[in-house]
Amino acid sequence: MYIKEVCAISPQLTYGTEFESGHFELHDKGILYAIEPSYLDFIPASLLRRMGKAVRMGIGAGLPLVKKYPGIEGIIIGTANGGLEDCIRFLNQIVDYKEGVLTPTSFVQSTPNAVAGQLALMGEKTGYNSTHTNGSLAFDNAMLDAQLVLETAVKPMELLIGAVEEISDYNYNIDTLNSHYKSESITNEELIRSTTAGSLCGEGATMCVVANTADHAIAEVVDQFQVCFPGKEELTGLINNFLDKNGMSPKDIDLLLFGNSGDGRTDHWYNDLQQELFPDKQITTFKQFSGDYRTAGAFGCYVAVKLLQGNHRIYGFDHLRRPRTVLVYNQFGGERHGFILLRGNQASIA
Amino acid sequence: MEISRDDLKLEFKQHLITYLNLLDIKVEDIKDDEPLFGGDLGLDSIDSVEMIVLLDREYGIKIKNPTEGRQVLVDVNTIVDYIIANRTK
Amino acid sequence: MRKVFITGIGSISSLGLTVEQQLKSLRDARSGIGKATHFQSVYTAQLPFAEINASDDELKKLTVCADPGVTRTTLIALKAFQEAVADGKLSQQQLSDPRTAFISSSTVGGMCYTDSLYADANNKGETSEFYASYEGSNHTLQIVKKYELKGYTDTINTACSSSANAILLGTRLIQSGRADRAIVGGADCLAKFTVNGFNSLRILNETPCRPFDEHREGLTLGEGAAYLVLEAENLVGDKKRYAEVKGFGNANDAFHPSATSDDARGPLRAMRDALQSAELSPFDIDYINAHGTGTVNNDETESFAFITIFGKQVPPFSSTKSYTGHTLAAAGAVEAIISVLSICHGEIYPNLNFEQPISGRGLIPVTKLQQNKQIKHVMSNSFGFGGNGTSLIFSKCT
Repeated sequence: MYIKEVCAISPQLTYGTEFESGHFELHDKGILYAIEPSYLDFIPASLLRRMGKAVRMGIGAGLPLVKKYPGIEGIIIGTANGGLEDCIRFLNQIVDYKEGVLTPTSFVQSTPNAVAGQLALMGEKTGYNSTHTNGSLAFDNAMLDAQLVLETAVKPMELLIGAVEEISDYNYNIDTLNSHYKSESITNEELIRSTTAGSLCGEGATMCVVANTADHAIAEVVDQFQVCFPGKEELTGLINNFLDKNGMSPKDIDLLLFGNSGDGRTDHWYNDLQQELFPDKQITTFKQFSGDYRTAGAFGCYVAVKLLQGNHRIYGFDHLRRPRTVLVYNQFGGERHGFILLRGNQASIA
Repeated sequence: MEISRDDLKLEFKQHLITYLNLLDIKVEDIKDDEPLFGGDLGLDSIDSVEMIVLLDREYGIKIKNPTEGRQVLVDVNTIVDYIIANRTK
Repeated sequence: MRKVFITGIGSISSLGLTVEQQLKSLRDARSGIGKATHFQSVYTAQLPFAEINASDDELKKLTVCADPGVTRTTLIALKAFQEAVADGKLSQQQLSDPRTAFISSSTVGGMCYTDSLYADANNKGETSEFYASYEGSNHTLQIVKKYELKGYTDTINTACSSSANAILLGTRLIQSGRADRAIVGGADCLAKFTVNGFNSLRILNETPCRPFDEHREGLTLGEGAAYLVLEAENLVGDKKRYAEVKGFGNANDAFHPSATSDDARGPLRAMRDALQSAELSPFDIDYINAHGTGTVNNDETESFAFITIFGKQVPPFSSTKSYTGHTLAAAGAVEAIISVLSICHGEIYPNLNFEQPISGRGLIPVTKLQQNKQIKHVMSNSFGFGGNGTSLIFSKCT
């Protein structure tokens, strides 16, 4: 499966060219809110008025791609929680008004499949459409789903895949109960080096145009792998098998892009894997840009694609040699572990 | 204190903008006799349910079903008349 | 491409706690719709529901599950999962095989206890036992952990077509060779969130739903969970094979967030794609288990789609939601199992509460139990909010 273009709305200036040119947006308030574009330029006010943040970001990152690639037939989205703000707004109405007369908009907008549904509606795409809500693996699931659709297609085909997650006061409260966030105040620049418990909360939408032909591709998704609740040694063996299955060994990986979140309780997963299998490989991280959220791995793929394209200007990446292969590894809370193996477009490297 | 019909119109239009989150529409854009549905406002059936909620929460008026609502939710004039006749708060 | 067979089934709904009990209810034309007693909501006094006849504590005993923070969604999922896995005779080794996938689905997921979520989300009062269980995929993770599943796992939420898409994805995973076996399905329990949501859209019927009837006034919400064990043909051996997953179509209506289009473009595309992938003609279909929610909108659109595809020869069809209510994410899998029973027993289970055909459509569903029929191919439809629609075709094993 090939990637033709990527687009992200994130806590960095990814919607324009600033992020790729080396700008780093510093967040010092403990929460990394996404920097949103002015949607009214391309989303009619009559539709925008009903959209919660998750739907808005998903449409904002996805619709321009849907418009640019008329060959896109279907849409597959991964989101652990969907439009939580609307969801809890509706829930609060239920309790506050004692199940009285309620407004349906928040209910309709809160369903996680509202993003893929709205993209299909606005882009008039009646083809394959699905939404995966499998926690931190939701984007990995969406990617494999796309791969299955594309490899059985009898003709050249494009799909839009992506991930969306929004910060709401409510899920922030619930994740705080789960001690997902740091109690001390640090900036996102300091995040990865931190070793205390918890991380910084982030959000965003990442969208990719994927296809079953290599024409104009900027990267290739070689394969992916996921596992839940592995043991440490077990994981090492599984990754060896995964690479082996794809005709590779650890030495063939040029760069490891890890989802370290600065959480001292779980970052050992990354460090252990590196020491076991990739002791002398280039390694870098992406959550200093995006903050931590369930489907941040999609943003990791966005960064990986930029690196595979030869971008050296991204903040803090000037020392990296241009990779031909990148392994993106993301886990959340040590429970679900996802690996996505990407390769650069060989033609553009040669 | 009794609110005048004109003030009530203004108040209702403000509620309408808030409840329906009409982003680029101001009070003066909504004409009293302009059909709310099928007109420039671009409202649909979901909005009619939102308006029923508005009438319930702001004026204590209960409209049981959308069919009954259709006779009331025509334009600002018809709604304001209905509010004056039926409000319980 | 290798064939995919159904080798195990497990289901819980208002019709019964096991597939066997549900089959009996289906044959006896005994609907599961009535007054809810376990579910707490002001609407239980006004609206009928299709509730599972077991409290959370009874479900904990049935599933031998005493884990803290386990929600009703997880409990009913666990019950149906256990039945399916036992029925498919899967060993612990097979469950933990990296080539065994688990694909579940839910819409309300871990948010089924609205009041505790309200308290925890708003930082009101003491933290509840469920604070770590609210995610839509929480029930999946709990089952993955409990049964040490090591293969591909997924949770899908495409509203009312969720578990139909779980079946579709599991089938494709096996066909592609990425998995040899998949346990697929979904779970949704009655929750204030969904009841109030559907009520705010004014699409709940005050009497038990009457799919495809001229005077239908909306759907009846139900709860349920169902899982199917899918296995690649080369693994099945001499195991019991209930049916083959023969075809599937997934399409989007791209019309409205919470209504289907007049021209049924999404449902039509899903049904046509299903027929095409099954390499069958419309005339091969012996029975359609319709989506048939009982809303004015769905049944009108689905009838139009039937007439468009099948012309004057619409096959026997029924909506078994007149028995089970609408079990949302679980509906696709609950009805897949009913479709499979239909094939295995040569029976068509009736569409209850039907009196008068929809004017201008004239379609009459099966209203009496039909037995001793040759049922080779069944189409099962699921259409949902967000324009999501999936049509599946199950076939008798040859």
